[in-house]
Amino acid sequence: MKFDKKPNYSNPISPITIEQSRLKRNQYLLSLLQEGQRLGLITSQRAYQIQLEMMQILQQLIQQHTQGESTSVSSETAQGLMTSLMYAIDTYTLLFETPEEAIAHLQDENMKDIYSKGVELLRHYFEEAKQLYRDVKKMKLDVPVDAYQMTIDESLPVFMKHYDIIFEAQNTMASIDYPLAIDDMRLRGVFYIKQYLERLQLETRFCRFFHQQDVMYMLTNFGNINRINYQIELFNIFELMINNAVFSLLSGGEATDVRISEIQFEQINQMLTASPANQRTKLIHEAVDQLQEDLQTDQALTDYINLYRDELVQRVSNAAEVGSFEKLIIREVNEREKSMVFKVNENDRMSDLQMRNFVDRILESDSTEEKVQLIRRHVVSLHDYLDLLNAECLFNGEYEALFATFGDVELAILAKIVFYEELREDKRDFSDIVAVGAETETEWEVHYIAFMQQLDDTHIRAVGDLMYEINYEDISFY
Amino acid sequence: MNLFDMLNSHQLSQPSNTVMELVHLNEKTKERDLVLTPDDAKTLMLSRNKILRDHARVELSIGVLKELIEVFSASPYMNRDHYVDTLNDLQEIFYYLRNETEDKIGDAKLIQQMNDYYNGPCGGSIELLRSKMEELAEKFRGDITLHHSLFEGYE
Repeated sequence: MKFDKKPNYSNPISPITIEQSRLKRNQYLLSLLQEGQRLGLITSQRAYQIQLEMMQILQQLIQQHTQGESTSVSSETAQGLMTSLMYAIDTYTLLFETPEEAIAHLQDENMKDIYSKGVELLRHYFEEAKQLYRDVKKMKLDVPVDAYQMTIDESLPVFMKHYDIIFEAQNTMASIDYPLAIDDMRLRGVFYIKQYLERLQLETRFCRFFHQQDVMYMLTNFGNINRINYQIELFNIFELMINNAVFSLLSGGEATDVRISEIQFEQINQMLTASPANQRTKLIHEAVDQLQEDLQTDQALTDYINLYRDELVQRVSNAAEVGSFEKLIIREVNEREKSMVFKVNENDRMSDLQMRNFVDRILESDSTEEKVQLIRRHVVSLHDYLDLLNAECLFNGEYEALFATFGDVELAILAKIVFYEELREDKRDFSDIVAVGAETETEWEVHYIAFMQQLDDTHIRAVGDLMYEINYEDISFY
Repeated sequence: MNLFDMLNSHQLSQPSNTVMELVHLNEKTKERDLVLTPDDAKTLMLSRNKILRDHARVELSIGVLKELIEVFSASPYMNRDHYVDTLNDLQEIFYYLRNETEDKIGDAKLIQQMNDYYNGPCGGSIELLRSKMEELAEKFRGDITLHHSLFEGYE
């Protein structure tokens, strides 16, 4: 990792060199001391002195942490404080180009000064991370991908609000869901968040080369091809966009045109399947070069794309080996005319109070027929149906009686929900999926599966056909 | 090198210095005929280190032991024959309480509370003090649970 604040130093440096591979990024000081002593670059006396000075800093931290109220802390707290202290010291020692330079400073400088400089650097990096966050927030893509939106709107602010440079500098704090194309999970604390934000910013900048409707087009088709609700899945948007941009170039299209036709798809499929491995790799590299040139990517983005190259080559190679680019190349599939469009209107929902009263009413009734009629008369929205089913106010045969009043559209919608995992990347016919069933402990789902299993094949097929015409985003049931 | 080993293998001052710090307290306690020999001080330190380890705590100074000596030496129930044993018991009770009260009460307040019970209802009995402090810890945990459940109720 490169740092932009390199200290001036004039210490003499030993001609003996330390092997980088023997040093640990996350315990840099400790590994430096071990290697330094092993090679005679640092005396055991000085190493002992360093530890003693660190204990003095730790004692101050304990006092600060207990606000002077207590001289002792739990071992867990002490370890946390010590790790935080060492994180700050590592931050400073990692600034030096070589471990020998770092050791030269450890020889001469007071640990208290080194620690202070480390803390100052952490403050500087934290400020940089805050600025990066503001930039990312400003340029955020307008896409309904929950993980992406929630990471930016909810998770990252947790870090910005709670990151503690003194007592928990090593803690990354926030739980980040949205996956980057290239992520280094070994980093911790502000280093991780800063790198995450830098890369998220690069990825977002890249996606902004494309029209908004093209990004949405890619997401929708990605969801349809994989039979998933892309809105709630964990995947990387940058990868989708760059892959198709490269495939577009490979099939004679423009870098900014990610819409791949059936003809282009066949062309790329043949080209990549027929080529030997080294030729395939060469083709991908040439297309990536072309992409960087056409989009005139700046140095930072060019470097990041270069980090992703091997990943793309590997994915193409895997797809070529199994002879299928169906999932890797998001293509323009001719959309069939939809026979129905199901809209879920929030305004049709009952209020929480209305729903509670309604559930009570259902529970009070002891006639199956009356319950079913009440439900059919009063419930119109899918959300309410799901709330009602999950309220477990029906018993055994009552579920079947309710499902029997449903048309194929309603049954198809419920199938999308109940068989979500099975439909995802499952090439089986719907009849087979129904026959095998799904693993669930939800009562109404168990009854739904049993109900579907007793329908005749023609009926199941009809529900299945309808089901494939319904997109998950049309029935956002969360 | 294991981090925790490193924490526990270090004392900020040399063992002989800590022993001397304890012996110096005799200046304040000798009026009550309470004095520690260097060997007594060593015994107290060894006992302290074991108690800290048993209670999974880290303390880089001997502030607690010094405070226990200063506060309890004024007790009418403290006598020379049981001085070291009583101090060891008090250390044990103190670190037990410190864990049980989840570090939410300061050292001075905790020691004062122990002292009030020791001189008051316990009449100088360490066994009674131990039992009273267990009750205190239980009450403290009960209050914390109540506080949490009330807090959650508002969420």
